[in-house]
Amino acid sequence: MSTQIKSPGIIVDYVKTIGIVNNGFNGRGFANPYDIVVHNDSRIFILNRCDPARAAAIRVGICTLDEEYLGEFGKGFGTGDGQFVWAVAMAMDSQDRIFITDEHSNRVTIYNTDGEYISNWGNSGSGDGELNGPAGIAVDSSGNVFVVDQHNARVQKFTAEGQFIANWGSFGSGEGQLNLPWGAAMDSDDNIYIADWRNDRIQKFTNDGEFLAAFGSTGYGEGQFQRPTGVAVDPEGFIYVADWGNERVQVLSADGSFQLILRGEATISKWASEYLASNPEEKAERDISNLIPELPAHLNTPYHISSQTEPYFWGPVSVSLDREGRLYVTETNRHRFQVYQKR
Amino acid sequence: MINNDTALMAHLLRRAGFGASRDELEGYLAMGYEGAVDTLLNPTDPGNMPDDLIRRYHVEQSELRDLPGSTAYWMYRMISTACPMEEKIALFWHGLFATGYTKLNQARTQLNQVDMFRRSGLGSFEDLLLELSRDPAMIIWLDNNENHGDNINENYGRELLELFSMGIGNYSEDDIKECARAFTGWTLGNAEYMAIRAAKDSIWPYGRIAWHFDYREDDHDDGEKTFLGETGNFNGEDIIAIIVKQESTARFLATRLFQFFAADEVSKAGENAVEAMVATYFSSGYKISDMLQTLFHSDYFKSGEARFARVKGPVEMVVGAIRMAGNYQNPSLGIEKVSNNMFFMGQGLLRPPTVEGWHEGVEWIDSGALVERVNFVAKELSDVKSPGVRSIIDRLEAGADDGVLNPSDLADGCLDLLGSIQVSDETRSVLVDYAARLGDLDLNGHQPGDQAEQRVGNMLRLVAATREYQLA
Repeated sequence: MSTQIKSPGIIVDYVKTIGIVNNGFNGRGFANPYDIVVHNDSRIFILNRCDPARAAAIRVGICTLDEEYLGEFGKGFGTGDGQFVWAVAMAMDSQDRIFITDEHSNRVTIYNTDGEYISNWGNSGSGDGELNGPAGIAVDSSGNVFVVDQHNARVQKFTAEGQFIANWGSFGSGEGQLNLPWGAAMDSDDNIYIADWRNDRIQKFTNDGEFLAAFGSTGYGEGQFQRPTGVAVDPEGFIYVADWGNERVQVLSADGSFQLILRGEATISKWASEYLASNPEEKAERDISNLIPELPAHLNTPYHISSQTEPYFWGPVSVSLDREGRLYVTETNRHRFQVYQKR
Repeated sequence: MINNDTALMAHLLRRAGFGASRDELEGYLAMGYEGAVDTLLNPTDPGNMPDDLIRRYHVEQSELRDLPGSTAYWMYRMISTACPMEEKIALFWHGLFATGYTKLNQARTQLNQVDMFRRSGLGSFEDLLLELSRDPAMIIWLDNNENHGDNINENYGRELLELFSMGIGNYSEDDIKECARAFTGWTLGNAEYMAIRAAKDSIWPYGRIAWHFDYREDDHDDGEKTFLGETGNFNGEDIIAIIVKQESTARFLATRLFQFFAADEVSKAGENAVEAMVATYFSSGYKISDMLQTLFHSDYFKSGEARFARVKGPVEMVVGAIRMAGNYQNPSLGIEKVSNNMFFMGQGLLRPPTVEGWHEGVEWIDSGALVERVNFVAKELSDVKSPGVRSIIDRLEAGADDGVLNPSDLADGCLDLLGSIQVSDETRSVLVDYAARLGDLDLNGHQPGDQAEQRVGNMLRLVAATREYQLA
């Protein structure tokens, strides 16, 4: 199993896997995690979307890179203050506020990093400042909040308090047009990158919405995407893309040229190790199993391969970076995230 | 008011599909009956709700860890497909080759089995039995992972002969043992680990790991076997080649297809259709679609005797009502609850009660199930906001003189537009009397949800409660 992935322009080392499926309503582990933000104090915040059976406990979990579980916050399923129905993505600002989108309730909910509910904003509709399916979210260096307004096929810019500033985009596949966009990320120059999900590309805009570039096309090859869901950009301009439909992460250089592919190589997390230690019969059979099997032809799609191959990404829905150059890949179907380190 | 061609096409679509709206029926009528049968039996692009869209909004239908999301995932496919026969044949095989979540705890693999039914369910029965024997869900379900060269487990061999192909009385106990020997070594990858996880319902540490077929040559008994009078060093493929040659297999399969697609009971007249299907089985090289083509073109199938001669199964009932109402065309909260409704009516997808599948026909109906059936369909069809119901209202208006329907027109129009439903005189009188309480219905200038539209919704609700609506 490789622990180093490199291209001429970039080297990425696999670090570790954190997580275990949480079948309940609180405590250690994750329930269909959808996004991650990492605080400068190294706390990792994980948004648990939760399936309907566990929706009563939609929450944000908190842990450290050393796999210490610190707790969680949230007010569960619903449309009341602090509640979520279909939570999608998070962004954190310099004031220790976490902004969380809900694509069903059409609003942005704000907690602080101590887990205290602050407020929410957003109304359903298609007028300026109104939302229809808010998905990705990002905060620029001035504290402006950018929301990917998926069903209105646009990006909207707000103040942190939800006051409308600007928007751009329309439905389509031309430059600057969007089709069910999802993830968003800022670069160090405050340009914004959008995972243009149904168009299988990443688009780059200025902070004011001027189209700058589009990267990628539909496909399975290098630099091609199948429904990209998340994007992140590091200080050197490398672009990390959650190539969700291909069950992989791709790294592009700042000009959009292909650099490398991560397929996932999960290992046993601390919590997983503790589970297996208490289930020795299961562990014994697991230890002699081939978890990267050859599959029959009809199962050779990225989705099926991932459903059968536990170390690989399955549902890599978002990518996040910390200030140490670590990459966090959130896997909703495996209830964990894999951590990589850029050299 | 009911047109004979339309009524026959509606009958075909209730059997080869889940019923049809008038728009759909008109599409099939334009093909002619023969063309419609060909189209239904040769599915091309189902155009169903795409997986990526479902997965984006329903994490539970991406992971497919638990039953509710997994059954909802199949429901979306049935609701949105343009090739309903593909789903209907998958449902047929799911009932005949019943494989249950309760033992497997592995919905993704069960849904892979359903994919296999779509892929091979209308092809050669020999190919289908081969795929079934390699299906990892079936392997765990009937313990073939415990069927070893030096210690056989007869479960799969027994059911392959009794429930899946020939029927009891057409083979001996020795044949079962020899059959089991031939399938030794037919297992799944990481069989021991997966069996432990299934038995414990373990989802740890990182969720389910789906299954795939694996053949272990070193665990296969390659010795000489005698099966149904033939002798050789048979492997599983050889056993299936012998099974499909049997007259009893042809008759078993023809009868089961008849009972699912034509009538719950095989009458004297129905026997002729079964005989014709048996003949087609052999002349076509065991091809299932050809057998069904024979059935759908038979005099029996087109006759009045075959109309409304089956009790709708819960899945047919629920999916048919949703398709007619035009609901759930996009990923929506609540789809899992709908799939639960089918369970409450007695048919939980992916969880047949035993290896024998569901007891069908009149056994679908008991007092509790009947209430569930009527309530569900009445709710779907009486919601005048639903696009399918709105289409019915528009058609009623367009077909009425000056937009005004008398009570008979309203009752007959609703019966016709819900699929040319033929009711008894007594039932029709009840419907007309109900409509007459408020006199003629004036649909001129009707607005969404107004009183005029509600009257249509109420009539559709009443039709849904008739005995005849319970039948296919």
